[in-house]
Amino acid sequence: MNFDSIIGMMPAFGRGALYTIGISTSSIVLGALLGFFIHAAYRKFPRQLKAAYAAYVWVIRGTPFLAQLFIVYYGLPAIGITPSAMQAAVATLAIYGSAYFAEIFRASWNSIPKGHAEAAIACGISPLATFMKIEMPQAVRYAIPLLVNQSIVLIKESSLASIITVPELTLTAGKIVAETYSFVEPYLLLALTYWALTYLTSILGRRIEKSFSR
Amino acid sequence: MFSRLDGYIGPMLAGASVTLVICIGAILLGFIAGIALYSLRNTGARGAVALADVYLGFFRGTPLLVQLLMLFYIPIALGVEINPYVAAVIALGLNSGAYQSEILRAGFQSLPKGQVEAADSVGIPRGKTLWHIQIPQVLRLTVPQLVSEAADIIKASAIVSVVTVTDLLRVGRQIVASNYRPLEVFITVAVVYLILISIVQLFGRYLEARWRTKS
Repeated sequence: MNFDSIIGMMPAFGRGALYTIGISTSSIVLGALLGFFIHAAYRKFPRQLKAAYAAYVWVIRGTPFLAQLFIVYYGLPAIGITPSAMQAAVATLAIYGSAYFAEIFRASWNSIPKGHAEAAIACGISPLATFMKIEMPQAVRYAIPLLVNQSIVLIKESSLASIITVPELTLTAGKIVAETYSFVEPYLLLALTYWALTYLTSILGRRIEKSFSR
Repeated sequence: MFSRLDGYIGPMLAGASVTLVICIGAILLGFIAGIALYSLRNTGARGAVALADVYLGFFRGTPLLVQLLMLFYIPIALGVEINPYVAAVIALGLNSGAYQSEILRAGFQSLPKGQVEAADSVGIPRGKTLWHIQIPQVLRLTVPQLVSEAADIIKASAIVSVVTVTDLLRVGRQIVASNYRPLEVFITVAVVYLILISIVQLFGRYLEARWRTKS
């Protein structure tokens, strides 16, 4: 183990980590928003959209993320859409996440007992207040650990962006390996960096969970 | 649009069977790793528990792609050539072991403690108690989750194509290299994955229904 070489890799890893964090954060935010709207649309028109919603979730969750990434990055140019590697990675990861996020929102919403809204109406509480003060807080509390878990999944999946040449962490390590012919140090540092990212995310998640359970 | 894919059905089926064989190997290895992890934690010895925690932290806290690259390239660096198919099964299997151990732990915890005590008192060795008394029950309790884990492995297995394993996705890339029709080919590949994964999930639901009525 050569510690000087590890220190020498730090700047490159820092740059790679910024890419990884950038891809993950933007796809988590976009994916959660998309998932929220997909679920909201399904709630608004359950009868008309039931089949479409089920098909979307089935297809996105039933196919490998890497295959989806290849369809977007290598396939779409055939019909005149040419995303950059970065755009393809963020867009595909967001779409991939959106199906899981939509299901999380659906499960959270289903977790609220129907009797609560009925009781609130019987007590004369306005529908808006019922939603904001009674239903929403329960759904949020249910959803947070699941959302954090899904975010960690997306951070890990973002490593596949290296396969379509996005210069994030995994590609950075691969380049260092190719240049220096040392395998052990770059890959150990790579694993450690990802572990730190996912660990910090889970700690952050637990903090948020605590602040909501009070 | 898809008409010109007829000639590629053979290679795709070959790729799909490679994917399936790798996944079957991985789920079996993962099951053994999962049982071993559970047993390690169950000993209560501080060193064993710490080892299990490091294992879980590594395999659940880092991307599978990174684990696969480490498993494939680090032995090469140390002078041991590792077959990419073997590396694929080991990486997927050890990774799945971390998730299977969590599934199995829930199963073990739902067994009454008296069983082990009874087995001890009639002189059945612990290993036999594990394999002949506990594991059959745990399997029955956790089969829906284990099958869903198997579906996840099929999905995750697409990345083994990066270490030159000719699985379904790599066959797709090879076809694209010769016919330059990436959109049709990769959509077809995705559909084949969707079919494989859906079959596994349906099988899981069938088992769950059947085993529930039996017990």
